[in-house]
Amino acid sequence: MNVHLLCKTLFYSIIFFFLISCKEKEVDNSSQMYIGWASENTTPNVPVIIHGQFHARVSEGIMDPVTATALAIESIDGQSSKKVILISCDLVFITDELRDAVRKRVTESLPEIKPEEIILNATHTHSGPQYSASREVIKETTDNITQTSNIKSTYGIELEAMEFSDCLDFLTINISKTAKRAWKNRKPGGISYGLGHAAVGNNRLQSGVSGKSQMYGNTNRKDFSHIEGYEDHSVNLLFTWDNKKNITGVVVNLACPSQVSEGDYLISADFWHETRIEIKKRIGEELFILPQCSAAGDQSPHLMIEKKAKERMQQLMFPGTESGRNSSGRRKQIAMHIADAVTSVLHYTKNNIEWNPIFEHKVETIEISRRLIEIEDVNNAMKEAKEWEKKFEKMLFDITENPEMKEKPRWYLEITRTHRLMLRSLGVKERYEKQKMQPRLPIEIHVLRIGNIAMATNPFEYYVDYGMQIKARSPAIQTFLVQLAGSGSYVPTNRSISGGAYGAVPTSTLVGPEGGYELAEETLKLIDEVWEK
Amino acid sequence: MNNNHSSNNGLNKISGYPFITIYIIHKLITTLKNNTLLYRFIFTIPVFTISLLSVNIKAYADTLYVGTSTVDITPELPVALDGQMHLRIAREVGTPLEANIAVLESRHKNKLIETTVFVSCDLVVIPSEMLYQVKYEVHKLLPGFNTDKIVMNAIHTHTAPVVRANVYPIPEKDVTQIEDYYSFFAKKIGRAIKQAWDSRKPGNVTWGLSQAKVGYNRRAVYADNSAKMYGKTNIPEFRGIEGYEDQNVNSLFFWDKQGELIAVGIAVACPAQEVEERYEINADYWHPVRLSLRKRFNSRLCVLGWIGAAGDQSPHLMYGKAGEERMRNLRHLSRLDEIARRIVFAVEDTYEVVKTDRHNDIQLIHETKDMSLPMRLITKTEYKASQKEIKKLEAQINADPKAKDRLFRKLNSFEGDVIRRYEQQKIQLAPMYNAKIHVIRIGDIVICTNPFELFTDYSIAIQARSKAVQTFVVQLAGPGTYLPTEKAVKGGHYSAIAQSNLVGPEGGQLLVDQTVELINKLWNVSYNQKVN
Repeated sequence: MNVHLLCKTLFYSIIFFFLISCKEKEVDNSSQMYIGWASENTTPNVPVIIHGQFHARVSEGIMDPVTATALAIESIDGQSSKKVILISCDLVFITDELRDAVRKRVTESLPEIKPEEIILNATHTHSGPQYSASREVIKETTDNITQTSNIKSTYGIELEAMEFSDCLDFLTINISKTAKRAWKNRKPGGISYGLGHAAVGNNRLQSGVSGKSQMYGNTNRKDFSHIEGYEDHSVNLLFTWDNKKNITGVVVNLACPSQVSEGDYLISADFWHETRIEIKKRIGEELFILPQCSAAGDQSPHLMIEKKAKERMQQLMFPGTESGRNSSGRRKQIAMHIADAVTSVLHYTKNNIEWNPIFEHKVETIEISRRLIEIEDVNNAMKEAKEWEKKFEKMLFDITENPEMKEKPRWYLEITRTHRLMLRSLGVKERYEKQKMQPRLPIEIHVLRIGNIAMATNPFEYYVDYGMQIKARSPAIQTFLVQLAGSGSYVPTNRSISGGAYGAVPTSTLVGPEGGYELAEETLKLIDEVWEK
Repeated sequence: MNNNHSSNNGLNKISGYPFITIYIIHKLITTLKNNTLLYRFIFTIPVFTISLLSVNIKAYADTLYVGTSTVDITPELPVALDGQMHLRIAREVGTPLEANIAVLESRHKNKLIETTVFVSCDLVVIPSEMLYQVKYEVHKLLPGFNTDKIVMNAIHTHTAPVVRANVYPIPEKDVTQIEDYYSFFAKKIGRAIKQAWDSRKPGNVTWGLSQAKVGYNRRAVYADNSAKMYGKTNIPEFRGIEGYEDQNVNSLFFWDKQGELIAVGIAVACPAQEVEERYEINADYWHPVRLSLRKRFNSRLCVLGWIGAAGDQSPHLMYGKAGEERMRNLRHLSRLDEIARRIVFAVEDTYEVVKTDRHNDIQLIHETKDMSLPMRLITKTEYKASQKEIKKLEAQINADPKAKDRLFRKLNSFEGDVIRRYEQQKIQLAPMYNAKIHVIRIGDIVICTNPFELFTDYSIAIQARSKAVQTFVVQLAGPGTYLPTEKAVKGGHYSAIAQSNLVGPEGGQLLVDQTVELINKLWNVSYNQKVN
C-alpha cells in the first residue's frame, strides 16, 4: 500500500514539475526573444530600367517577382530591449539614399525603432529595378546626387521607363511596409543555426600562363593557367521558430551574388526565386526566406570549369528546360544545391533551439583607406572619356537625325553603354580630386551577435579572401558576412590587382587591399567587442 | 552533351531505325520502277548512305563487358606504417585494407577491341616495383594479357603498410618486411585481376558529377607572401588560402545486364588521410564510404576510390572549425563518417540523376604515355642547407640513438635525397623524371592518371582544356611526390620545397599540356576510326 502511494506521489510530482518547466518556457516574458517576419512583392507594374549592366535595359516583362523580406528581432531582458530589422532586397545594391529613406519612413511610424537598427542588404540580382544613378556616379559626385540621379544623366538619353526617383519612392514605400509588418508580426520565438555547403559560387577570375587575369572567358585555351583565388562554398543558416517549435523562417547566407540571368530584359529575383520555391516545397509554403550574400566579390554563379558536365546534369535533372549559362536550368540546379544544404542541416538544429540567446548589435561608421588614384590613371581615364564622349555625340547625332532608328528593338543599347563608360572614366578624375580632400572613405558597418553566431555587414563586393580572414579569426561559432549592405564597389586583393582583371582595376574599385584589410580588422574588432559582453 | 561527340549519338539513333530506312527504299523502288535512269540514280543514294553509316556504326558500336572483384590486402601484424616522417608500428587493425578491381573490355562482334583494368588500393603510393610484381603475377595467370593496361592507384591512406624502401628504419625482426608485403600483395592482386577478368559480362555504364566539401586547400598564405602547409588561419598575418579547391565528385557507374549496380568509380580530390596519425591499419574515409554504398546498392559492390589531383588538399579543416565540429557533433558522427556522409550524398545524388542514361555501346580507348619531365634542380643554397640539416640530425641521433625512429626519414630521404640529386646534377645537367600516364576514354568521359601528388591547379587546367564531357583526374597512380605550382614554390614550405619535389612547375605545365593533347586526340574523329 505504502509503495503504491509512494509511486503515485512520485508520478504526480514528475507531472507537476514537467508542467511547471513547460509553463516557464512559454510565459517568461521578462527575458525573451521576439521574432517577426514579412515579405512584400516589390515589382513595379510599369517598365523600369533593369539594373546591373553598363547598358540600359528597359524591362519587357516580368519573369518572376522581386521581393523584400524582413526579419525583425527583439530581445527583451527585463526593462531593456535590443532590436534589429534585417531586410533583404532583390536589388543590385542598396544606396545610402534608399537606406535612409526606408529608415525615415519606418521610424516615423515606429518611433521605438532607431534608424540604425534597420539593416538592408541586396542579393545583387542583375534583373531588378534601377532606382538610382549608376554606382560610379553616386559614389563620386555625392554632392550632386539629385542632379545626376535620373535616367538621362546616367544613360545620356530619355527612355520610356519609370524614372529613378519614382522607383526609389515605390521601393521605399514597399520595403518600409515590409519592415513595419515584420515588426508588428513579432511573437515569442527562438533561433537555431547550422552550417552546410553548396557549390554555387564559382571564382570568376581566371589567370593565364602570363600571370594576367580576366573575369570569365574561356578556360578551354592553352594559355589558361588556373583560377585566381579561393572559393567559399559554406552556407550559413539561421532558423527561427515560434514558441510551439514550428519553423517560421530561415536566413540563408552564401557567397554568391544572384546573377545567373544577368543579361535578361525581364524583371527577376534570379536564382533566389527558384530557391525560395524549392525550400518552401520541402519545408512549408508559409516559410520566410531571407537571402544574404557573403563576401563574394570574385565569385558568381557562372561556371568556369566542367561546364559540359554540369550542363549535362542540368539536362538530366530538368528535362525540357534550357541549360547552360544564364539558363533556367542553372537556376534550378542552384536552387536544388541550396535547398539540399538547408534541409541537411535543419533536422539537426531542430533540437537546439535557443529561446533567449545573447543578442548584441553594434553599428559604426568607420573610415578606411581609399584606393589612391595615380595621375597616370587620371590621364588615361580622361583620354578614354574623351573617346567615349566623341562616340556618344556621334551616336546621339545619328539618332536625332534618324528617328526611325528608335523603331528597332533595343535601339538604345550601344548609346547608353557608351554614355555609362564615359561617366565611368570621368569618375576617375573626380575620385582623384576627392582623395586629396578625403583620403579615407567613410562606410557604415554592423555587427550582430545572436547566441554564438556573428553577423557582420559591409557595403562592398568584398573579395573572398577577406571573408576568409574574418571567418577564420572570428570568435563566433559561425560568422555570417553580409556584403552589399550598401552600394560599394569591388574590394580586390593584392593577387587580384597583380592579375589586373575587371574588378581589380582602379575604375572598378574605390577601395584596394589596404582598405580591404582595414575593413577586416575593424569588423573583427567589433565582433570581439560584442563577444566580450 | 559534348558537341564533338554528338555525331556518335546521332549515328546510334539512326542505327535504331533500320525498318524505316528499308520502308523508304521500298517505296522509292515501287514509285520509280518505271523510270530506269532516275531509279538507278535515286537507288544509289540510300545504298551509298547505308554503306557509309554501316562503316561508322561499326566504328562506334562496341559492346562493353565488365568484371569486378574486391580483395583484402590487410598485412600481417605488426607492420610499419607509411606516410609520416617518423616510424610507426601498427599492432591492430582499425579497418581492413582493400583493393577494388574493375576490368573493362570492349568487343565488336566478339572481337576484343580494348581492355582496361582499374585497381584502386588502400595504400599510400604505388611504387614501380610493386606494380611490376603485380604485372608479373597477372602475366603468369593470364598469359598474353596486356599488362600495360593495368591502372593502379593509391588512396594515399597514411595508415597502410610501408611500401617505400629505405624510408623508415623498419626493425628486421617481428615486423612484416616490405618485400614480404610486396609478394603477398602481388599474389592477391594478380588473382583478383584474374577473377575480375574471368567474371566479365556485358554491362552498362554512365557517369555524373556532383560536389562535396571534402578536401581543403591546406596551404595558408601570410602578409609577407610566405605560405605554410596547415598554417594557422586565425592570426592577423593570415591573408588567404593559397589556391583553389576542387570539390567535384566525379562518379562512374557500372551495371550488369540484370540491372544490378556492380561497380562505382568515385574521384574525390582529397587524399584519404583524416586519421593519418594513428598507429593502426585503417583505410581512412574510404572504409565508411564503401560500407554505406554497399549497404545501399550491393553488398559486393566494387568501389574504385580515386583521388583527384590534390597535392595541396587534405581533409583537415583550415578555418571555421568550430562551426564544422558543432555540426558533426549534432549529427553524432566521427570525422571519418562525416566525410563519408558528404561523399555518399554526392554519389547517391548523382546516381538518382543519371541512372536512366545508361550506355552499353560506348567507346573504350586506353592510351598510355611515358613522359620525360624535367626534374626540379637543386640549387647550391638548398644543397648547403641540407648538408647543415643533416649534420644536425646526425648529431641528434648520435646523442640519442632512439631518435633514429623519428629522424631517419628526414635524414635519409628528405635531406639525403637533396644531396644525392645535387651530386647527380654534376653528371647529368638536365635530369629527367620518367612518368607514365594513362588516358582512358569511356564514352563521353575520360580518366587520366598521373603518378604525383599533383597540385589542384594543374588538374583544373586539364579539366578546363579537355574535350571530354567529364574529366576524371586520378593522382598517385604511381610512386608519388608533390608537384607544386609556381606560386606554391614562391610561398615555400613543405610540399613546395626542393626536398618535397622531384618535378617542379616547369614539369607540371608539360604534364598538363601532354595529358590534354592525349585526351583531345581521343576525340579526334579520324583517330577514333583508326583505332577501331
